[in-house]
Amino acid sequence: MATLLILNILWQVSVLAIVTIGLAVVFGQLRIMNMAHGELVMIGAYAPVMTSLLGLPGYANIVVCLVTVGLIALLMERLVIRHFYGRAFDSLLATWGLSILLRETVELIFGRGYQSVPQYVPGTFSISGTDYPLYRLVVMAGIIPIFAGLYIWYRKSKIGVEIKAMVENPSLAQACGINTSRLSAGCFIFGALTAGVAGLLLAPTIRVEPMMGLDYLIRSFFSLVIGGLGSFEGLFIGVGIIAGAQSTLGALFNQTYGYLFILILSIVFLWLRPDGIYRRS
Amino acid sequence: MNNRFLISIFSAAFSAVMLAGAAFAEVKIGVLVPDSGPAGLFGPSTRHSAQLAAAEINAAGGINGEQIELVFADVGVPPAEAVQAALKVWKAEGAEAFIGMHDSAVREALTGLFKGGVPYVYTPVYEGGACSEGLYVTGETPSQQLAPVIPFLMKKEKVRKWYLIGNDYNWPRDTNALARGYIDDAGGEVVGEEYLPFTVAEFDSSLQKIRQSGADGVLITLVGGASVGFNVAFASFGLDQQAIRLGTLIEENTLAGIGADNANRLYSSAGYFSAIKTEAARDFATSYSEMFGEDAAPLNSLGQSAYDGLMLLAKLGNSAGSLQVAELEKVAEGISFESPRGTGTLTGRHVAQTIYLANGTGGTFDITASFDSVASAEACP
Repeated sequence: MATLLILNILWQVSVLAIVTIGLAVVFGQLRIMNMAHGELVMIGAYAPVMTSLLGLPGYANIVVCLVTVGLIALLMERLVIRHFYGRAFDSLLATWGLSILLRETVELIFGRGYQSVPQYVPGTFSISGTDYPLYRLVVMAGIIPIFAGLYIWYRKSKIGVEIKAMVENPSLAQACGINTSRLSAGCFIFGALTAGVAGLLLAPTIRVEPMMGLDYLIRSFFSLVIGGLGSFEGLFIGVGIIAGAQSTLGALFNQTYGYLFILILSIVFLWLRPDGIYRRS
Repeated sequence: MNNRFLISIFSAAFSAVMLAGAAFAEVKIGVLVPDSGPAGLFGPSTRHSAQLAAAEINAAGGINGEQIELVFADVGVPPAEAVQAALKVWKAEGAEAFIGMHDSAVREALTGLFKGGVPYVYTPVYEGGACSEGLYVTGETPSQQLAPVIPFLMKKEKVRKWYLIGNDYNWPRDTNALARGYIDDAGGEVVGEEYLPFTVAEFDSSLQKIRQSGADGVLITLVGGASVGFNVAFASFGLDQQAIRLGTLIEENTLAGIGADNANRLYSSAGYFSAIKTEAARDFATSYSEMFGEDAAPLNSLGQSAYDGLMLLAKLGNSAGSLQVAELEKVAEGISFESPRGTGTLTGRHVAQTIYLANGTGGTFDITASFDSVASAEACP
């Protein structure tokens, strides 16, 4: 049974990591507290529903997801978000409004009911006598190279350097010929697209309905509070603590304790160590 | 010119009187539905079912010869706000009776408001035991959904070890307290009992406990989204091979969210399913889609319950010759009414009714068995 617990923890960490990465980029780099992040996850999860409504084959899911979420993110950025860069609290209110708008729009188009998304990879796989959902194993295996790639890209690429420059000193970055407006927009859309892909990946494993985004926003936000903003290391520390603690306490005692622990931990961190565990130098 | 002016004044006044007269000849009935909030999903089907009932009651002559008019109010809000909404319909709009499809917290607040001053029919599935004057309950209670179904399933599916899982509030706890008795009586045992907060969206640790417990039956009293999430995860772990599932609040929307892939050996027990094949149920479904279109909100036990509520109210009102609570109380006990569910009989303010067991395998319900005239053990003395 230890195998099962470890796999469950790994799965929860992976899920939280793919959901949180976009929030970390947008919050950490652009200082936009994107309350509509969960709704972008939700729209990503609706991609298979849209694909089947459009009569497209299953592999078009990813295209439908990227196009829909990308367009929505572009509109959000151009019309609202760009006026709020660097104003964390104002952006919180603005994106909260946007989150309601997105939820209501989805409800208007697809209705309030639950949507069912067929399993992409059905079946279970036996690991040392424990049956585990095959799809989860595939996703976990796929996430590691994606995150490694992102990490290296952010460290080594020119865009990574430009983002860091923009975050440190926007006017100087602009003076050096960096198009910060386009770079911020790119950052925001990138964050939104990762949220959409997270939704698409999670869709067959969870409930899909207009209100689902809230579940993901809160735990992602707590992960950032605990781990600290602006680095991959902080992200993984936060995600590991939140998801690990919840799974372990849930398995040993019950889920209420797991949830309580996360809340207490977050409050303690906000109070005593608001920069999180991993501080950026 | 003068004459024509007078004539216009007269005819205007006359039509106003006529209109007022017509309005007076209608009985207003408040229908309390969840348009917003967690149960908002059931708002449209509840409204439609109530409208269909009103159309049928009016076509049959109304209540005591007067046509009925429905006044809807949203009670998918906290109890204090629901009370305000109901008060407005009662005092300002002049409703003479109420039908309610909402949670128990709102019901408790409303019985405190009405205090037997106006008849009130409460229609959804609930935990039982509500016994105020002027309150009549049409919904299924846990004893009705479980007493005939648990022994039947244990025999049919050779289930012995049950795991009970629900959200953490009184309906699941009351249901499971009763279930323990029925499981004992049928020679089974309970190998686990667990309650999850409403905020829980991942069920891995519960599924791990279910696997370890060796349960071959799982009784689910999780509600709405939690039920969908749990059942999806349950099937992904292949636990559908280990255990059958029985839910007492898995209706058509929840099953649609669970999906065909994840519904293997998933049973549901309720007083209504859109899959019921009796003539009454088929006629009802036909009228529903004729009136509201093929794309109307899908029928389900909660939404449909509003129809039963109005049918019972009409029967009570017509038998008593009035909608005064004192008169209704005299005729209420033992009164019967017809609905798509079958024949319902009011016994101790609750309705003894047919209970259906449906199998959701394949993603749509299929009626496995029906149990006639199941009385509620939670009825009032």
